[in-house]
Amino acid sequence: MTELLQFLIAGLKNGAIYSLVALGFTMVYAATGAINFAQGQFFMLGGMLGAAFVGAGLPLPLAALAAVLATALIGAVFELVAVRPIGDGDPLRIIMVTIGGSVLFSQLALHVFGPDTRSLTTFTAGPSLKVLGAAVERQTIWIWCLTALAVAGLALLYRRTMFGRAMRATSLHRDAARLVGINARAMVTASFALAAALGAVAGLAVAPLTQTSFQVGSGVAVKGFAAAILGGLGDPAAAVAGGLVLGILESLTAGYIDPTYKDGVALIILLLVLFVRHQGLFGGSGREKV
Amino acid sequence: MRGRTLKLSMAMLIAALAVSLAIFIGACGSKKSSNSSSNGSIKVGAIVSLTGSYAALGQPEQNTLNMEVKKINDAGGINGKQIDLMIKDDGTDDAKAVAAASELITQDHVVAILGPTGSSTTMAIRGNIDRAGIPEISMAAATPITNPVDKLVFATAWPNSVVVPFTFDYLKKNGITKIGAITDTGGFGADGLAVIKAAAPKMGMTVVDSETFNPGDTDMTAQLTKIKNTDAQAVLMWTAGPEGTIIAKEMQDLGMKIPLYGSHGNGNLQFIQGAGAAANGVKFPAGKILVPAAYGKGSAGYTQATAFITAYQAAYGAAPTTFAGHAFDAIHILADAAKTVSGDVTAAALRDAIEQTSGYVGISGDFTFSPTDHNGMTPKALVMYEIVNGKWTLAK
Repeated sequence: MTELLQFLIAGLKNGAIYSLVALGFTMVYAATGAINFAQGQFFMLGGMLGAAFVGAGLPLPLAALAAVLATALIGAVFELVAVRPIGDGDPLRIIMVTIGGSVLFSQLALHVFGPDTRSLTTFTAGPSLKVLGAAVERQTIWIWCLTALAVAGLALLYRRTMFGRAMRATSLHRDAARLVGINARAMVTASFALAAALGAVAGLAVAPLTQTSFQVGSGVAVKGFAAAILGGLGDPAAAVAGGLVLGILESLTAGYIDPTYKDGVALIILLLVLFVRHQGLFGGSGREKV
Repeated sequence: MRGRTLKLSMAMLIAALAVSLAIFIGACGSKKSSNSSSNGSIKVGAIVSLTGSYAALGQPEQNTLNMEVKKINDAGGINGKQIDLMIKDDGTDDAKAVAAASELITQDHVVAILGPTGSSTTMAIRGNIDRAGIPEISMAAATPITNPVDKLVFATAWPNSVVVPFTFDYLKKNGITKIGAITDTGGFGADGLAVIKAAAPKMGMTVVDSETFNPGDTDMTAQLTKIKNTDAQAVLMWTAGPEGTIIAKEMQDLGMKIPLYGSHGNGNLQFIQGAGAAANGVKFPAGKILVPAAYGKGSAGYTQATAFITAYQAAYGAAPTTFAGHAFDAIHILADAAKTVSGDVTAAALRDAIEQTSGYVGISGDFTFSPTDHNGMTPKALVMYEIVNGKWTLAK
């Protein structure tokens, strides 16, 4: 029983990270109809920039904030320079550009930060907490809190602010949104910036546990993408649920079947779900949901 | 319509630029060979992992190779010939190692290859080595690299078949007979697990649980929870990548009280930096370079090692690791062998000369090769370390 609980805690920890990355996929998908394959690199940049800022002498909270803001800026600039010129272009082209961007970010990070793995200290030091005999690391609690905060923040943004409503309107019907005076292009830029910020938060939160390096981006992108598909693309709540389900599936596979196959089993279940229900486990009809 | 086409091609152009820039930068990432065709130089290739999970192993190897080749060349080279060293990064990836080997062999016409860093990459380039008929001195530790003996392949790292029994001896002396093993599924860890399982019954050890993880995994909670629920007296971890730091940290987070024993894959600073406080108390077997007093002050090994440490520290601002030691031994065994070749240093002559290596006092131990032994390492070359306050110390 304690063993199962421990597996679930580990699954929810990884799942929360996948959720944050999946949210990034979902936001860009809602705005453009394209998959942003550079999303994993925002995760990488968050951790690497955070480590670099700490190395430069900033205290951790400030370094983390600076890393998130810098990554959001990088996301916005990437959209302006590489994606916007495609205009209303078809998603396939945007996807190609983001694949190029992904390689570019990773190689730039290699040259700026070097090939070494880097680590951050845990946000709060101390032994892990005990819950019914299972251990919960303090950093895991941070990961859960940050994920919850990000989800709540997004919900507020979408429902309560003019800016958020404009983003939703754009994703529902770009031309109609433009007719009522919404700057649709700015909304796309904003979606990249927000997606980058979410990726950076995930990368920062997990760096104290797993370390980070210039090449962690593509692996996590696959997981986040799988989570977004599993949940249902375009729906933030579904993305979060998809991430948590994927994390738990992986952890249970590692615990009860064989850790060697945990990535494979998770992906097989993903495929099965898509055969039966191609809008994902929790998705409605896709991008209109945002 | 025209406007749209223009915009689209603009986007294509930018995409193409981004990709080509990325490829260009990527290409610069691997250290480009000088590819000089100067006559009278001895062309030697080296394949190391400068990126990927073994980056922490490959970088000190590259540093050492560059430093030692410069030293040899400045002192007049090999019988008047300079060593022309070409280093390639394999990214800890079998396919890239094979590509690097074939480039070194077919384009650069090297007479020998040093490396690769990893066990899996070393096995991956075996075909290239055998087809080209050039000698290879690997810096990796899986047993099959030198057992069975391949005529062309030598190794300067302590093989698992030597290190595992040494570790078991130490464990038994400390009253530990039941272990939970956690190993990676890459070449080094998979071979380690096979050796652990084969040696345990012979030495009176019991492997109560064995768990594996894939290189690149970031969460081993499930595996460690299962070991925690057994009566294992210690965790024995066989991996050389950064995943080891996650295991050390998670054991602490899970409140596991049993000690963690690593392998000779953990003799790098990044393990201590990455695991932080969780590194303290971790024990692992390795050669003597981390605490040179272990050679015995005044011995030939001690003199050799302290000179190397001083030079390395001056050049790179950090102490050399055990992996730097493997590179040191590889280049010097090669250079010493090349010196004994009269006339042209051909691959065949060099191979025969390397096999004649006898009593070479190295960093990792004293090497004597023979037609039936292309490694020559014994447990005498090993000591047990304990990490105390983030520093390597000799374990009691």
